[in-house]
Amino acid sequence: MIRNASAIFALLLAVVLQTSVLPIHVATPFKPDLLLVAMVYLALRGSSASGALLAWLLGLVKDVFSGLYLGLNAFSFLIIFLVIKSISDLLYAESSELFVVTVTAASLACVTLDLLMLLMLTSTPGILYSMSAGLLPHLLVNAFAASLVTLLPVFSSPQEVS
Amino acid sequence: MDLFKKFGFVLLAGIGILVALIFYSLNIPHKRSANFVERGVMMVFAPVMKPAARVSGFFEDTWDNYLSLVGVRQENLRLRDEIKGLNARILAAGETAMANQRLEKLLGMKNSVKLPSLTVSVVGEDLSSWFRTLVIDQGSTSGITEGMAVVAADGVVGQIVKVAPNTSRVLLLTDHTSGIAATIQRSRARGVVKGKGEGLCSLEFTTREEDVKVGDMVVTSGIGGVFLKGIPIGEVTMVKRGEYGIFQTVTIRPLVNIAHLEEALVVLREPHD
Repeated sequence: MIRNASAIFALLLAVVLQTSVLPIHVATPFKPDLLLVAMVYLALRGSSASGALLAWLLGLVKDVFSGLYLGLNAFSFLIIFLVIKSISDLLYAESSELFVVTVTAASLACVTLDLLMLLMLTSTPGILYSMSAGLLPHLLVNAFAASLVTLLPVFSSPQEVS
Repeated sequence: MDLFKKFGFVLLAGIGILVALIFYSLNIPHKRSANFVERGVMMVFAPVMKPAARVSGFFEDTWDNYLSLVGVRQENLRLRDEIKGLNARILAAGETAMANQRLEKLLGMKNSVKLPSLTVSVVGEDLSSWFRTLVIDQGSTSGITEGMAVVAADGVVGQIVKVAPNTSRVLLLTDHTSGIAATIQRSRARGVVKGKGEGLCSLEFTTREEDVKVGDMVVTSGIGGVFLKGIPIGEVTMVKRGEYGIFQTVTIRPLVNIAHLEEALVVLREPHD
């Protein structure tokens, strides 16, 4: 119960940080994707069944506060979650370095998937240029955010997230 | 001899008192000048008195300073608190003055828009770096619906896209999916202002023959029924006419500084009106 409440509080905190606090202090390309970081954490440490639904919901929350297309990030998050989950058993999931690398790879995958979905299903001319221009700072800032997450006490705990 | 022994002390005391009285009475006429006794005593004490006075002064100063220091610490703390309070008030006053300035400009725009409008505050930005939307603090309970125009003191901000009871999202004019019917104010050349995502816009569908120059002001044309006619959008910063093609490439810098936008007006008019 307490863990669920903590998770919901962390989610709220991440959304508020990303929408209302960080934009005031950092330039747009350097906004970290905290929900993606949370999803990767879930994929490496969480269980498959509930984790997949949670990953999809995290993406949905991101869509509510981002862009026009509800379901875009939810789809990407789910795909990325399933991919990470499928190989997480082969990895040492408690490694900090692995977490940072996985977040970076997931960020790249998320941008690619979003871009493909946008180009295939919507009319958003110029999005390719915007995404390409902001990709490197996006990856770097997400890796930085992931490295900060590894410093949190919750990361060191060996318990599996339900 | 016995008599002297018996009354000797009284006699000596009487003589002494008499001498003292005579000495005193003799000195009364010379009260303003020092006699040899005074001069002698003063000469003896003179070398000692000066350093003694200095030492005494030093101890007096030390004591006074100590007594003062007892209160200084308390006073220092009180003054520091006062300075903090005054600094906070100066900052608050500065913030109020700036907010007043912004709202005054916004009021000017509100008066120029001849339709009912609602003042809103920006409470959030888009989660991602690719899309350009804002979250405002008013929603459907305040009468906001999708498609309504959002303007600021300097000009067009965007359009309402998603409405919740207490918040709404605004699609900024710089977003890739935004499109606003516009006119070049000077030459009346028409086009559609589309977002380029990098804080800039472009004027699309303006034919090569149309007269567009750098520095021209771009305003809303009123076509489409979302924005009123003549609201400033931005300034032309680049015009490129290729050798081929029907249209020219026109880049526009929006007048509204979206990165620092805090308040805006939602024009309470249904887009299809």
